[in-house]
Amino acid sequence: MKLLEMKDVKKSFGDLQVLKGIDLSVEQGEVVAIIGPSGGGKSTLLRCATTLETIDSGFISIGGDTLVSTPAGSDKAHYADKHQMTEIRSKFGLVFQNFNLFPHFSVRRNITEALVSVHKKSKEEANSICDELLAKMGLSEKGDSYPCNLSGGQQQRVSIARALATNPEILFFDEPTSALDPELTAGVLKVIRDLAEEKMTMVIVTHEMSFARDVADRIIFMDGGVIVEQGPASEVINNPKNDRTKEFLAGY
Amino acid sequence: MERYISTITQLAAGFKFTLIIFAFTILFSIPLGLLVAKLRMSKFKVISGITRVYISIMRGTPLMLQLLLVYFLPNMLFGIALRDLNFGGVDYRLTATVIGFSLNYAAYFAEIFRGGIQSIPKGQYEAAQILGFTNTQTFFKIVLPQVIKNVLPAVTNEVITLVKDTSLAQVLSVTEMFTAAKALSSAQVSIMPLIAAGVFYYVMNGLVEIVMNRFEKSMNYYH
Ligand SMILES: Nc1ncnc2c1ncn2[C@@H]1O[C@H](COP(=O)(O)OP(=O)(O)O)[C@@H](O)[C@H]1O
Ligand SMILES: [Mg+2]
Repeated sequence: MKLLEMKDVKKSFGDLQVLKGIDLSVEQGEVVAIIGPSGGGKSTLLRCATTLETIDSGFISIGGDTLVSTPAGSDKAHYADKHQMTEIRSKFGLVFQNFNLFPHFSVRRNITEALVSVHKKSKEEANSICDELLAKMGLSEKGDSYPCNLSGGQQQRVSIARALATNPEILFFDEPTSALDPELTAGVLKVIRDLAEEKMTMVIVTHEMSFARDVADRIIFMDGGVIVEQGPASEVINNPKNDRTKEFLAGY
Repeated sequence: MERYISTITQLAAGFKFTLIIFAFTILFSIPLGLLVAKLRMSKFKVISGITRVYISIMRGTPLMLQLLLVYFLPNMLFGIALRDLNFGGVDYRLTATVIGFSLNYAAYFAEIFRGGIQSIPKGQYEAAQILGFTNTQTFFKIVLPQVIKNVLPAVTNEVITLVKDTSLAQVLSVTEMFTAAKALSSAQVSIMPLIAAGVFYYVMNGLVEIVMNRFEKSMNYYH
Protein backbone atom coordinates (compact mmCIF):
# COMPACT_ATOMS: atom_id res chain seq x y z
CA MET A 1 0.00 0.00 0.00
CA LYS A 2 1.22 3.49 -0.83
CA LEU A 3 1.41 5.64 2.29
CA LEU A 4 2.57 8.71 0.41
CA GLU A 5 1.85 9.58 -3.14
CA MET A 6 2.81 12.81 -4.86
CA LYS A 7 2.10 13.49 -8.52
CA ASP A 8 3.37 16.41 -10.52
CA VAL A 9 3.59 18.62 -7.43
CA LYS A 10 4.51 22.21 -8.21
CA LYS A 11 5.24 24.95 -5.74
CA SER A 12 6.52 28.48 -6.19
CA PHE A 13 7.46 31.22 -3.76
CA GLY A 14 6.66 34.34 -5.73
CA ASP A 15 8.51 34.03 -9.01
CA LEU A 16 10.78 31.28 -7.77
CA GLN A 17 9.56 27.81 -8.67
CA VAL A 18 10.94 25.55 -5.96
CA LEU A 19 9.21 22.28 -6.85
CA LYS A 20 8.97 21.69 -10.57
CA GLY A 21 6.71 18.67 -10.83
CA ILE A 22 7.60 16.09 -8.21
CA ASP A 23 6.46 12.48 -8.54
CA LEU A 24 7.12 10.36 -5.51
CA SER A 25 5.46 7.44 -3.86
CA VAL A 26 6.41 5.62 -0.71
CA GLU A 27 5.22 2.12 0.11
CA GLN A 28 4.31 0.93 3.57
CA GLY A 29 7.42 -0.12 5.46
CA GLU A 30 9.73 1.64 3.05
CA VAL A 31 12.50 3.98 4.17
CA VAL A 32 13.31 6.70 1.66
CA ALA A 33 16.22 9.07 2.08
CA ILE A 34 16.29 12.37 0.21
CA ILE A 35 19.69 13.88 -0.43
CA GLY A 36 20.86 16.85 -2.44
CA PRO A 37 22.46 20.27 -2.27
CA SER A 38 21.04 22.98 -0.09
CA GLY A 39 18.33 25.04 -1.77
CA GLY A 40 17.24 22.09 -3.91
CA GLY A 41 13.73 22.01 -2.48
CA LYS A 42 14.01 19.09 -0.02
CA SER A 43 12.48 20.93 2.93
CA THR A 44 9.79 22.42 0.74
CA LEU A 45 8.90 18.93 -0.46
CA LEU A 46 8.47 17.71 3.13
CA ARG A 47 6.58 20.84 4.12
CA CYS A 48 4.16 20.39 1.23
CA ALA A 49 3.59 16.75 2.16
CA THR A 50 2.94 17.71 5.79
CA THR A 51 0.50 20.59 5.09
CA LEU A 52 2.89 23.30 6.27
CA GLU A 53 2.96 24.74 2.75
CA THR A 54 0.18 24.71 0.18
CA ILE A 55 1.06 23.53 -3.29
CA ASP A 56 0.17 25.34 -6.51
CA SER A 57 -0.84 22.23 -8.44
CA GLY A 58 -0.52 18.48 -8.38
CA PHE A 59 -1.75 15.63 -6.22
CA ILE A 60 -0.81 14.40 -2.75
CA SER A 61 -2.33 11.55 -0.79
CA ILE A 62 -1.32 10.22 2.60
CA GLY A 63 -2.35 6.83 3.90
CA GLY A 64 -4.77 6.54 1.00
CA ASP A 65 -6.58 9.81 1.78
CA THR A 66 -6.37 12.60 -0.75
CA LEU A 67 -4.88 15.71 0.81
CA VAL A 68 -4.92 17.77 -2.35
CA SER A 69 -5.69 17.23 -5.99
CA THR A 70 -5.87 19.32 -9.12
CA PRO A 71 -8.93 18.65 -11.27
CA ALA A 72 -8.22 17.97 -14.94
CA GLY A 73 -8.34 21.15 -16.97
CA SER A 74 -7.82 23.26 -13.88
CA ASP A 75 -4.50 24.67 -12.73
CA LYS A 76 -5.57 25.27 -9.16
CA ALA A 77 -4.98 22.78 -6.39
CA HIS A 78 -8.01 21.76 -4.38
CA TYR A 79 -7.45 20.86 -0.72
CA ALA A 80 -9.41 18.53 1.54
CA ASP A 81 -11.82 20.22 3.93
CA LYS A 82 -10.97 21.03 7.53
CA HIS A 83 -12.43 17.82 8.90
CA GLN A 84 -10.56 15.57 6.46
CA MET A 85 -7.43 17.61 7.05
CA THR A 86 -7.53 16.78 10.78
CA GLU A 87 -7.96 13.12 9.89
CA ILE A 88 -5.02 13.23 7.46
CA ARG A 89 -2.79 15.06 9.94
CA SER A 90 -3.21 12.22 12.40
CA LYS A 91 -1.63 9.85 9.88
CA PHE A 92 1.83 11.36 9.75
CA GLY A 93 4.44 12.86 11.98
CA LEU A 94 7.23 15.34 11.28
CA VAL A 95 10.57 15.71 13.02
CA PHE A 96 12.10 19.15 12.55
CA GLN A 97 15.72 20.06 12.17
CA ASN A 98 15.57 22.31 15.24
CA PHE A 99 13.17 20.09 17.23
CA ASN A 100 10.50 22.72 17.94
CA LEU A 101 9.76 21.21 21.32
CA PHE A 102 7.42 23.20 23.55
CA PRO A 103 9.85 24.80 26.03
CA HIS A 104 7.27 25.39 28.76
CA PHE A 105 6.18 21.74 28.83
CA SER A 106 8.06 18.95 30.55
CA VAL A 107 9.34 16.16 28.33
CA ARG A 108 6.35 14.10 29.41
CA ARG A 109 3.85 16.81 28.58
CA ASN A 110 5.50 17.44 25.20
CA ILE A 111 4.80 13.82 24.37
CA THR A 112 1.38 13.41 25.97
CA GLU A 113 -0.38 16.72 25.33
CA ALA A 114 -1.59 15.89 21.82
CA LEU A 115 -2.68 12.43 22.96
CA VAL A 116 -4.84 13.96 25.66
CA SER A 117 -6.19 17.10 24.06
CA VAL A 118 -6.31 16.07 20.39
CA HIS A 119 -6.78 12.31 20.49
CA LYS A 120 -8.85 12.34 23.70
CA LYS A 121 -6.86 9.60 25.39
CA SER A 122 -6.97 9.35 29.17
CA LYS A 123 -4.03 10.68 31.17
CA GLU A 124 -3.11 7.16 32.27
CA GLU A 125 -3.12 5.84 28.73
CA ALA A 126 -1.08 8.81 27.49
CA ASN A 127 1.42 8.34 30.28
CA SER A 128 1.91 4.68 29.57
CA ILE A 129 2.47 5.42 25.87
CA CYS A 130 4.93 8.10 26.95
CA ASP A 131 6.84 5.76 29.29
CA GLU A 132 7.15 3.19 26.56
CA LEU A 133 8.49 5.74 24.07
CA LEU A 134 10.90 7.28 26.56
CA ALA A 135 12.33 3.83 27.28
CA LYS A 136 12.73 3.23 23.57
CA MET A 137 14.55 6.55 23.21
CA GLY A 138 16.82 5.80 26.16
CA LEU A 139 15.31 8.71 28.09
CA SER A 140 13.39 6.94 30.83
CA GLU A 141 14.84 9.22 33.48
CA LYS A 142 13.99 12.42 31.64
CA GLY A 143 10.19 12.56 31.77
CA ASP A 144 10.14 15.38 34.29
CA SER A 145 12.97 17.40 32.72
CA TYR A 146 12.39 20.44 30.60
CA PRO A 147 13.78 20.69 27.06
CA CYS A 148 16.23 23.45 28.07
CA ASN A 149 17.95 21.01 30.41
CA LEU A 150 18.56 18.39 27.74
CA SER A 151 21.33 18.08 25.18
CA GLY A 152 20.43 18.65 21.53
CA GLY A 153 20.54 14.92 20.89
CA GLN A 154 18.19 14.24 23.77
CA GLN A 155 15.85 16.99 22.61
CA GLN A 156 15.71 15.49 19.16
CA ARG A 157 14.90 12.08 20.59
CA VAL A 158 12.09 13.65 22.61
CA SER A 159 10.76 15.22 19.45
CA ILE A 160 10.87 11.83 17.72
CA ALA A 161 8.96 10.36 20.67
CA ARG A 162 6.46 13.20 20.40
CA ALA A 163 5.97 12.47 16.71
CA LEU A 164 5.56 8.74 17.38
CA ALA A 165 3.12 9.13 20.27
CA THR A 166 0.06 9.49 18.09
CA ASN A 167 1.03 6.34 16.23
CA PRO A 168 1.48 7.81 12.74
CA GLU A 169 1.59 5.64 9.65
CA ILE A 170 4.45 7.60 8.13
CA LEU A 171 7.15 9.75 9.65
CA PHE A 172 9.00 12.60 7.96
CA PHE A 173 12.41 13.86 9.09
CA ASP A 174 13.97 17.11 7.90
CA GLU A 175 17.70 16.90 8.55
CA PRO A 176 17.20 15.49 12.05
CA THR A 177 20.88 15.70 12.97
CA SER A 178 21.96 18.90 11.23
CA ALA A 179 21.51 21.09 14.30
CA LEU A 180 23.49 18.71 16.51
CA ASP A 181 27.11 18.60 17.54
CA PRO A 182 28.77 15.66 15.76
CA GLU A 183 29.14 13.62 18.95
CA LEU A 184 25.38 13.81 19.56
CA THR A 185 24.22 12.57 16.17
CA ALA A 186 24.87 8.89 16.82
CA GLY A 187 22.11 8.54 19.42
CA VAL A 188 19.54 10.08 17.12
CA LEU A 189 20.64 8.02 14.12
CA LYS A 190 20.45 4.85 16.20
CA VAL A 191 16.85 5.60 17.14
CA ILE A 192 15.97 6.08 13.48
CA ARG A 193 17.78 2.84 12.60
CA ASP A 194 15.73 1.00 15.21
CA LEU A 195 12.56 2.41 13.71
CA ALA A 196 13.64 1.25 10.26
CA GLU A 197 14.19 -2.21 11.69
CA GLU A 198 10.62 -2.17 12.97
CA LYS A 199 9.51 -1.36 9.42
CA MET A 200 8.35 2.14 10.25
CA THR A 201 7.61 4.00 7.01
CA MET A 202 9.93 6.99 6.86
CA VAL A 203 11.02 9.77 4.54
CA ILE A 204 14.29 11.26 5.72
CA VAL A 205 16.06 14.31 4.37
CA THR A 206 19.67 13.93 5.42
CA HIS A 207 23.28 14.84 4.75
CA GLU A 208 24.57 11.72 6.49
CA MET A 209 25.49 9.69 3.43
CA SER A 210 26.64 6.50 5.13
CA PHE A 211 23.59 6.54 7.34
CA ALA A 212 21.37 7.01 4.27
CA ARG A 213 23.04 4.11 2.52
CA ASP A 214 22.66 1.81 5.53
CA VAL A 215 19.16 2.64 6.58
CA ALA A 216 17.30 3.61 3.41
CA ASP A 217 15.70 1.22 0.94
CA ARG A 218 15.72 3.93 -1.67
CA ILE A 219 17.61 7.14 -2.14
CA ILE A 220 16.35 10.16 -3.96
CA PHE A 221 18.71 12.84 -5.20
CA MET A 222 17.01 16.18 -5.53
CA ASP A 223 18.40 19.33 -7.09
CA GLY A 224 16.85 22.46 -8.56
CA GLY A 225 13.32 21.44 -7.64
CA VAL A 226 13.34 18.11 -9.46
CA ILE A 227 14.16 14.52 -8.59
CA VAL A 228 17.32 14.02 -10.59
CA GLU A 229 18.00 10.41 -9.78
CA GLN A 230 16.64 7.68 -7.56
CA GLY A 231 17.19 4.03 -6.89
CA PRO A 232 18.25 1.43 -4.35
CA ALA A 233 20.40 3.03 -1.70
CA SER A 234 23.74 1.37 -2.38
CA GLU A 235 23.35 1.89 -6.11
CA VAL A 236 22.77 5.65 -5.91
CA ILE A 237 25.55 6.17 -3.37
CA ASN A 238 28.14 3.81 -4.82
CA ASN A 239 27.21 4.00 -8.46
CA PRO A 240 25.48 7.26 -9.33
CA LYS A 241 24.42 7.55 -12.96
CA ASN A 242 23.72 11.25 -13.21
CA ASP A 243 26.57 13.76 -13.42
CA ARG A 244 25.00 16.10 -10.91
CA THR A 245 24.61 13.24 -8.43
CA LYS A 246 28.23 12.26 -8.96
CA GLU A 247 29.39 15.79 -8.41
CA PHE A 248 27.31 16.12 -5.25
CA LEU A 249 28.50 12.82 -3.79
CA ALA A 250 32.10 13.64 -4.58
CA GLY A 251 31.83 16.29 -1.87
CA TYR A 252 31.32 13.60 0.80
CA MET B 1 -1.88 62.96 67.55
CA GLU B 2 -5.58 62.99 66.81
CA ARG B 3 -4.92 64.99 63.71
CA TYR B 4 -2.52 62.34 62.44
CA ILE B 5 -5.04 59.60 63.01
CA SER B 6 -7.76 61.54 61.25
CA THR B 7 -5.40 62.29 58.35
CA ILE B 8 -4.50 58.62 58.00
CA THR B 9 -8.14 57.55 58.24
CA GLN B 10 -9.16 59.95 55.49
CA LEU B 11 -6.23 58.90 53.30
CA ALA B 12 -7.18 55.28 53.85
CA ALA B 13 -10.73 56.07 52.77
CA GLY B 14 -9.28 57.58 49.57
CA PHE B 15 -6.97 54.61 49.22
CA LYS B 16 -10.01 52.37 48.97
CA PHE B 17 -10.95 54.10 45.72
CA THR B 18 -7.37 53.99 44.52
CA LEU B 19 -7.47 50.23 45.02
CA ILE B 20 -10.83 49.89 43.30
CA ILE B 21 -9.62 51.83 40.25
CA PHE B 22 -6.39 49.82 40.22
CA ALA B 23 -7.99 46.39 40.61
CA PHE B 24 -10.77 46.88 38.08
CA THR B 25 -8.44 48.44 35.55
CA ILE B 26 -6.15 45.40 35.77
CA LEU B 27 -9.12 43.08 35.61
CA PHE B 28 -10.53 44.65 32.43
CA SER B 29 -7.51 46.03 30.60
CA ILE B 30 -5.48 42.82 30.44
CA PRO B 31 -8.06 40.64 28.68
CA LEU B 32 -9.09 43.64 26.58
CA GLY B 33 -5.44 44.26 25.72
CA LEU B 34 -5.10 40.66 24.58
CA LEU B 35 -8.15 41.06 22.37
CA VAL B 36 -6.86 44.37 20.96
CA ALA B 37 -3.49 42.71 20.25
CA LYS B 38 -5.26 39.94 18.33
CA LEU B 39 -7.31 42.46 16.34
CA ARG B 40 -4.19 44.51 15.65
CA MET B 41 -2.62 41.40 14.10
CA SER B 42 -5.74 40.52 12.12
CA LYS B 43 -5.15 39.71 8.48
CA PHE B 44 -8.16 41.86 7.62
CA LYS B 45 -6.70 45.26 6.81
CA VAL B 46 -9.78 47.17 7.99
CA ILE B 47 -9.74 45.58 11.42
CA SER B 48 -6.01 45.92 11.97
CA GLY B 49 -6.18 49.50 10.63
CA ILE B 50 -8.96 50.57 13.00
CA THR B 51 -7.17 48.92 15.91
CA ARG B 52 -3.98 50.68 15.02
CA VAL B 53 -5.74 54.07 15.07
CA TYR B 54 -7.32 53.18 18.42
CA ILE B 55 -3.95 52.33 19.92
CA SER B 56 -2.28 55.44 18.58
CA ILE B 57 -5.04 57.72 19.94
CA MET B 58 -4.95 56.05 23.35
CA ARG B 59 -1.20 56.38 23.55
CA GLY B 60 -0.97 59.77 21.86
CA THR B 61 -3.43 61.82 23.94
CA PRO B 62 -3.51 62.60 27.67
CA LEU B 63 -5.23 60.02 29.85
CA MET B 64 -6.82 62.90 31.73
CA LEU B 65 -8.54 64.07 28.55
CA GLN B 66 -9.70 60.52 27.83
CA LEU B 67 -11.25 60.29 31.29
CA LEU B 68 -13.13 63.55 30.74
CA LEU B 69 -14.38 62.34 27.36
CA VAL B 70 -15.63 59.02 28.73
CA TYR B 71 -17.43 60.97 31.42
CA PHE B 72 -19.03 63.63 29.27
CA LEU B 73 -19.56 61.96 25.87
CA PRO B 74 -22.70 59.92 26.78
CA ASN B 75 -24.39 63.15 27.68
CA MET B 76 -23.01 65.20 24.82
CA LEU B 77 -23.70 62.62 22.12
CA PHE B 78 -26.92 60.98 23.32
CA GLY B 79 -28.24 63.45 25.84
CA ILE B 80 -28.16 60.84 28.61
CA ALA B 81 -28.40 62.42 32.04
CA LEU B 82 -25.27 61.61 33.99
CA ARG B 83 -27.19 60.56 37.07
CA ASP B 84 -28.96 57.93 34.94
CA LEU B 85 -25.56 56.31 34.49
CA ASN B 86 -25.17 55.53 38.17
CA PHE B 87 -25.53 51.79 37.61
CA GLY B 88 -25.88 49.59 40.66
CA GLY B 89 -25.59 52.58 42.95
CA VAL B 90 -22.07 53.27 41.71
CA ASP B 91 -21.38 56.90 40.91
CA TYR B 92 -20.77 57.24 37.17
CA ARG B 93 -17.64 59.25 37.93
CA LEU B 94 -16.06 56.10 39.28
CA THR B 95 -17.41 53.93 36.47
CA ALA B 96 -16.15 56.39 33.87
CA THR B 97 -12.74 56.41 35.56
CA VAL B 98 -12.48 52.63 35.39
CA ILE B 99 -13.68 52.58 31.77
CA GLY B 100 -11.22 55.31 30.78
CA PHE B 101 -8.29 53.64 32.51
CA SER B 102 -9.21 50.24 31.06
CA LEU B 103 -9.43 51.55 27.50
CA ASN B 104 -6.15 53.40 27.88
CA TYR B 105 -4.18 50.61 29.53
CA ALA B 106 -5.60 48.05 27.10
CA ALA B 107 -3.82 49.93 24.33
CA TYR B 108 -0.48 49.77 26.14
CA PHE B 109 -0.95 46.12 27.08
CA ALA B 110 -1.97 45.33 23.50
CA GLU B 111 1.35 46.56 22.18
CA ILE B 112 3.24 44.60 24.81
CA PHE B 113 1.25 41.43 24.06
CA ARG B 114 1.67 41.90 20.33
CA GLY B 115 5.44 42.02 20.74
CA GLY B 116 5.26 38.95 22.96
CA ILE B 117 3.11 37.00 20.53
CA GLN B 118 5.29 37.91 17.56
CA SER B 119 8.39 36.75 19.39
CA ILE B 120 7.10 33.16 19.49
CA PRO B 121 8.98 31.25 16.78
CA LYS B 122 7.01 30.03 13.78
CA GLY B 123 8.20 26.49 14.54
CA GLN B 124 6.01 26.40 17.65
CA TYR B 125 2.91 26.94 15.53
CA GLU B 126 4.09 24.43 12.96
CA ALA B 127 4.78 21.74 15.54
CA ALA B 128 1.35 22.35 17.07
CA GLN B 129 -0.33 22.19 13.67
CA ILE B 130 1.35 18.90 12.79
CA LEU B 131 0.27 17.42 16.13
CA GLY B 132 -3.32 18.33 15.34
CA PHE B 133 -3.95 21.10 17.85
CA THR B 134 -6.73 23.49 16.85
CA ASN B 135 -5.90 27.18 16.52
CA THR B 136 -7.55 27.88 19.85
CA GLN B 137 -5.64 25.10 21.60
CA THR B 138 -2.41 26.29 20.01
CA PHE B 139 -2.98 29.80 21.27
CA PHE B 140 -3.98 28.98 24.82
CA LYS B 141 -1.77 25.94 25.45
CA ILE B 142 1.35 26.70 23.45
CA VAL B 143 1.58 30.40 22.63
CA LEU B 144 0.00 32.28 25.52
CA PRO B 145 1.97 30.66 28.36
CA GLN B 146 5.22 31.55 26.60
CA VAL B 147 3.97 35.05 25.84
CA ILE B 148 3.13 35.62 29.51
CA LYS B 149 6.67 34.75 30.51
CA ASN B 150 8.10 37.03 27.82
CA VAL B 151 5.98 40.06 28.65
CA LEU B 152 6.03 39.89 32.43
CA PRO B 153 8.79 42.51 32.94
CA ALA B 154 7.05 45.00 30.64
CA VAL B 155 3.68 44.33 32.27
CA THR B 156 5.21 44.97 35.69
CA ASN B 157 6.31 48.40 34.47
CA GLU B 158 2.79 49.23 33.32
CA VAL B 159 1.27 48.04 36.57
CA ILE B 160 3.62 50.26 38.57
CA THR B 161 2.73 53.21 36.37
CA LEU B 162 -0.94 52.44 36.86
CA VAL B 163 -0.62 52.64 40.65
CA LYS B 164 0.62 56.21 40.27
CA ASP B 165 -1.77 57.07 37.43
CA THR B 166 -4.79 56.37 39.60
CA SER B 167 -4.23 59.88 40.98
CA LEU B 168 -5.51 61.22 37.65
CA ALA B 169 -9.01 60.20 38.72
CA GLN B 170 -9.11 63.51 40.56
CA VAL B 171 -10.05 65.10 37.24
CA LEU B 172 -13.48 63.48 37.64
CA SER B 173 -13.57 64.42 41.32
CA VAL B 174 -13.30 60.82 42.44
CA THR B 175 -11.98 61.07 45.97
CA GLU B 176 -9.19 58.57 45.56
CA MET B 177 -6.17 58.94 47.79
CA PHE B 178 -4.44 61.79 45.99
CA THR B 179 -7.59 63.90 45.88
CA ALA B 180 -8.03 63.28 49.60
CA ALA B 181 -4.42 64.16 50.31
CA LYS B 182 -4.69 67.42 48.40
CA ALA B 183 -7.82 68.44 50.27
CA LEU B 184 -6.23 67.59 53.62
CA SER B 185 -3.09 69.41 52.69
CA SER B 186 -4.86 72.69 51.96
CA ALA B 187 -7.14 72.36 55.00
CA GLN B 188 -4.18 71.79 57.31
CA VAL B 189 -1.87 74.12 55.40
CA SER B 190 0.69 71.35 55.59
CA ILE B 191 2.53 69.19 53.11
CA MET B 192 2.43 66.18 55.44
CA PRO B 193 -0.75 64.60 54.02
CA LEU B 194 0.82 64.65 50.55
CA ILE B 195 3.98 63.02 51.83
CA ALA B 196 1.91 60.41 53.64
CA ALA B 197 0.08 59.71 50.36
CA GLY B 198 3.45 59.34 48.67
CA VAL B 199 4.37 56.70 51.24
CA PHE B 200 1.13 54.82 50.49
CA TYR B 201 1.91 54.75 46.74
CA TYR B 202 5.47 53.72 47.42
CA VAL B 203 4.49 50.86 49.69
CA MET B 204 1.83 49.68 47.27
CA ASN B 205 4.33 49.58 44.45
CA GLY B 206 6.72 47.71 46.71
CA LEU B 207 4.03 45.07 47.08
CA VAL B 208 3.40 45.07 43.34
CA GLU B 209 7.07 44.40 42.75
CA ILE B 210 7.19 41.59 45.29
CA VAL B 211 4.16 39.90 43.75
CA MET B 212 5.39 40.31 40.19
CA ASN B 213 8.87 39.06 41.13
CA ARG B 214 7.34 35.93 42.64
CA PHE B 215 5.34 35.47 39.47
CA GLU B 216 8.43 35.88 37.30
CA LYS B 217 10.39 33.46 39.46
CA SER B 218 7.63 30.90 39.21
CA MET B 219 8.20 30.86 35.47
CA ASN B 220 11.93 30.44 35.67
CA TYR B 221 11.69 26.67 35.46
CA TYR B 222 12.49 27.00 31.76
CA HIS B 223 14.15 29.51 29.51
N1 LIG C 1 9.00 30.54 2.71
C1 LIG C 1 9.82 30.76 1.65
N2 LIG C 1 9.73 31.92 0.95
C2 LIG C 1 10.52 32.13 -0.12
N3 LIG C 1 11.43 31.28 -0.59
C3 LIG C 1 11.58 30.11 0.07
C4 LIG C 1 10.78 29.80 1.22
N4 LIG C 1 11.14 28.56 1.65
C5 LIG C 1 12.11 28.13 0.81
N5 LIG C 1 12.39 29.06 -0.14
C6 LIG C 1 13.35 28.92 -1.22
O1 LIG C 1 13.10 27.70 -1.88
C7 LIG C 1 14.31 27.09 -2.27
C8 LIG C 1 14.35 25.67 -1.74
O2 LIG C 1 14.46 25.73 -0.34
P1 LIG C 1 14.42 24.43 0.57
O3 LIG C 1 13.20 23.65 0.25
O4 LIG C 1 14.57 24.88 1.96
O5 LIG C 1 15.70 23.64 0.08
P2 LIG C 1 16.55 22.54 0.85
O6 LIG C 1 15.77 22.04 2.01
O7 LIG C 1 16.79 21.50 -0.19
O8 LIG C 1 17.82 23.21 1.25
C9 LIG C 1 15.45 27.96 -1.78
O9 LIG C 1 15.87 28.77 -2.84
C10 LIG C 1 14.78 28.80 -0.71
O10 LIG C 1 15.39 30.05 -0.61
MG1 LIG D 1 16.25 22.09 4.08
